[in-house]
Amino acid sequence: MNSTETIRAIQENIARVIKGKPQVIEMSLVALLARGHLLLEDVPGVGKTTLAHSLARSLDCSFKRIQFTSDLLPSDIVGVSIFNRQKQTFEFMPGPIFANIVLADEINRTTPKTQSSLLEAMSEAQISFDNKTYPLSQPFMVIATQNPAEYHGTFPLPESQLDRFLMRLRIGYPSPEEERKVLERSPSLHPAEDLLPLLTAQDVVHLQDQVDKVFMEESLTDYLLAIVHSTRQSALLSLGVSTRGALALSRAAKALAFVRGRTYCLPDDVKELAPIVLSHRIMVARQQGLRPRSFEQAERIIQDLIDTVPVPV
Amino acid sequence: MPFDQALRLTSILLASASFIGLMVGTGLPEWLAALTGMALIVVLLRSVGISSVDHLVMRVPISATGWNLVVIGGFLGFWVDLLWVSEELLPAGIHFLMLLMVIKLFNLKFRRDYLHLYAISLVAILASGSLTTDLWFFPIFTLYLLAGVWTLLLFQLTKSSEATGSFTIPRTIPHDAQDGFDRVTPHLFWIGNGLAIGAFLMTLVIFFTIPRLSAGFYQKGVGENLRTSGFSDTVNLGAIGPIKRAPSIVMRVELSGRPLRNGGPLYIRGVSFDRYDGKAWTNRLSHRRSLREETAGTFVLRGKRSTVSLQSGETIQQKILLEPLDTPVLFAAPFVESVSGPFPNLLSDVTGSVYLPFPSASRIEYTVVSRSTPLVPADFSSEAGLYPESFASYFLQIPHESERVGALARELTHATRGAYEKVNAIQIYLTHNYRYSLDAPLAEQDHPLEEFLFTRKTGYCEHYATAMVILLRMVGIPARLVTGFLATEWNEYGNYYVVRQQDAHAWVEVHLPHSGWIPMDPTPPILEGAGDGNPAWTVLGRVLDNVRLQWNRFFVQYSAADQFAVVQELKAGSTSVRNKALDSMTSLVSAFTAILGGIITQDVSRVRIGFLGKTFGSVLIGLAVLLWLGMRQPWAGRSPGEKRSRQDQAMANLYGRMLTYLSRQGIAKPTAMAPIEFVGIIRARWSAANAHVASITGLYCQARFGHIPLTQEELQRANDDLHRLMSLQKL
Repeated sequence: MNSTETIRAIQENIARVIKGKPQVIEMSLVALLARGHLLLEDVPGVGKTTLAHSLARSLDCSFKRIQFTSDLLPSDIVGVSIFNRQKQTFEFMPGPIFANIVLADEINRTTPKTQSSLLEAMSEAQISFDNKTYPLSQPFMVIATQNPAEYHGTFPLPESQLDRFLMRLRIGYPSPEEERKVLERSPSLHPAEDLLPLLTAQDVVHLQDQVDKVFMEESLTDYLLAIVHSTRQSALLSLGVSTRGALALSRAAKALAFVRGRTYCLPDDVKELAPIVLSHRIMVARQQGLRPRSFEQAERIIQDLIDTVPVPV
Repeated sequence: MPFDQALRLTSILLASASFIGLMVGTGLPEWLAALTGMALIVVLLRSVGISSVDHLVMRVPISATGWNLVVIGGFLGFWVDLLWVSEELLPAGIHFLMLLMVIKLFNLKFRRDYLHLYAISLVAILASGSLTTDLWFFPIFTLYLLAGVWTLLLFQLTKSSEATGSFTIPRTIPHDAQDGFDRVTPHLFWIGNGLAIGAFLMTLVIFFTIPRLSAGFYQKGVGENLRTSGFSDTVNLGAIGPIKRAPSIVMRVELSGRPLRNGGPLYIRGVSFDRYDGKAWTNRLSHRRSLREETAGTFVLRGKRSTVSLQSGETIQQKILLEPLDTPVLFAAPFVESVSGPFPNLLSDVTGSVYLPFPSASRIEYTVVSRSTPLVPADFSSEAGLYPESFASYFLQIPHESERVGALARELTHATRGAYEKVNAIQIYLTHNYRYSLDAPLAEQDHPLEEFLFTRKTGYCEHYATAMVILLRMVGIPARLVTGFLATEWNEYGNYYVVRQQDAHAWVEVHLPHSGWIPMDPTPPILEGAGDGNPAWTVLGRVLDNVRLQWNRFFVQYSAADQFAVVQELKAGSTSVRNKALDSMTSLVSAFTAILGGIITQDVSRVRIGFLGKTFGSVLIGLAVLLWLGMRQPWAGRSPGEKRSRQDQAMANLYGRMLTYLSRQGIAKPTAMAPIEFVGIIRARWSAANAHVASITGLYCQARFGHIPLTQEELQRANDDLHRLMSLQKL
């Protein structure tokens, strides 16, 4: 079974649980293969947690879930040192972050201090504790969810922190037919539990390495940079996309090309990914909208910008 | 019609116009005319969109290297043409130009190709324009102009969409055909034609209103001529005084045909006056006759004074550059014999003054040959004789003056004998006993002459001259007053006199029985006005004035005749270059054949050396080309990378043609649309074409963005897909 078929199989596997959302499934795979982290932002009850769970179940990897609350402490994520009476030393007890796939549920409900402990792990892929560095296992992916509708008792992530996520996805409501299928399914509390793992952690790392070899043509890089540059020039935005954002878009484009069975990127890859990879990295100028953090608004501005950047022919 | 197609069409029209111009104008060889004509027709049919021609052309593809070889061949042909066939630079150049045009026509891919085509067309139309003056050129040139305006317009209009595109497929990809912005609408069509006609009409207006070359019509308007006084038929005494302060340059005089008179004063005569009424001088002999034109542009004064014709005085040849003045008088040193210059007609009166028919509005340059009248020795002792009544009434006329003037005249000449001595006595008396000053308000007096002679004893040239004329007439010697300029300012950098308004002068001409009219000047030499400021400034001013004169000579006055002379020289030069090239080649080759002949056989006929020279010359050129090609090796040693890029280019061209075709069918690809995205659009709007478009796009993406080399079969498949796509008709 070659890599293209493997990826197709995983997509079909997850699609058995998440009905009618092939794009979302594809993008979450892209995030995984691009060694990125995923931020799912949507109203409650559309399957954010289920998606993360299904992805984790499709891979033969360790999976941990952290429910973020306002009284969660960094040590609840990273781990604690406990005094071992027999050895007369402190012993590090790894926290839930030491897993391949970590679901950080409702990440904006916890305090900034706790948030940052998670985010540092995300960018460094390692944990420093008591002057010791503990590398995290590979692959490592954080799938965070947040709820845009509730604002009471939340600590919104600042843009610099959001920058750590490769992409921000919306799941959206399913179509009526798909919703009907969900309802007609045999009642099960955890549909994802029934999925069979298709890939080992080693396989995932191997696929990630292959993504790095995807070819991006020079003019396509220029195109990507032109998009990034246009966000920095736009009067509608008070903050453009960072270099990390440009890097993320490039990696994601390669991963998408790979997921679609190509060994080279196309302008389509860049263009399709730009809204979901870039929209959480920008700040909409305050006068442009009543809710400056509105997801739709940012996406629409990015989309408009892309439509002005000429595609290399 | 989309812009890019229209641009292609107008470009071909432009080329056609210049081609027709050349064909009718110079008589191209039949094969070249046929070749170019066919190329134009084929390309025209292609651009109109007749697909069968398109297919035909696609069948016989010549690679880029092939075209390069054709150009090299053409260039060699040019030399062969120049040296042996037409044996002249111009026809050979034109033949080569036509060949270049044919090659360009089949290679209109990039925007710079279009620019090259325009350049070739321009040179062609210029060449045909310089070779003919016939009427048929007018419609052809009008066509060229129309096509030119359209081409410019469309080239500019397609530029914006081009600039945003990339460089790999440099053909226009229109934005969105829906809104009709990028198509030639009837509205735009008429605006374009209107522009062309407007430009043409404006050119016509300019052609008829702006004067030819040297005439600075707008530079110096009619009303802006230098104001002079003292040269009309009647001159009040004291009229010259005010202008004696004006520094404007009136003319520049170069002397030729004799040693330069460094800085010595030169009298430049204007007009003479015979009648004095106590306040003003009048020229009663102002009746003017036309001068005889001896040769083109040279006019000769008739009616020589018989006494003078016996002896020949000194001839003075002057070249005068006269600024526009408000008087028709043509100035020259006395006495004028002939005038040559760009005049349609010249007039003169009996006193020897020369006039233009009307005051010139522009600067004129003319050459005058004058002859001064020497004093005949016989006149040193002779008395003033009796003159005929007609002569005496003019030059012995005396106004009603008081007796004091007559008494003074008699007193001065009492002790002298002979007319010449009397003249001298009066001149010396005036020069030494009166003070020169420009501040002499004598004009307001009732009797300005008496005021000058007896009361103030102060005046300037006019007063001196008037006094002398009247005093001479009192004692029976005919005399007249002359006005003109006394040139004293010598420009040593250009070797010419600068004459300014302040150099205006009046002096006397005395008639002596044997010599005739002799100029005399009673005015004392004026002390040079020392207040000319810094000498450095004076030097700079003179250098600048010289530069100005040269500018006028070599640029403003540069005429068609000069142009013709230059062309003749160039032609002679090119012929000599050709001959030299032939000679050197023949001598080189003959040396070569001599050696060769020595080796092969002892008796190579000398007669055949010329023929051998030509043969060996061709062989040498051929060898040089082979050597050059071998060094470049365009057919071998191509690296796979280069090959791949060529196939990439082929695929990119296919894709570009597909886009052009689709945009003609009404589905244009916006620049910001990605290729696969565009396939989606096609699927939605023209499902029949979807499979072909998807196939071509896939292969294109693979080659373009994946840098994965296409096989020949894939390229062929893409080609077939394109042809099948083109055979589809959109519903």
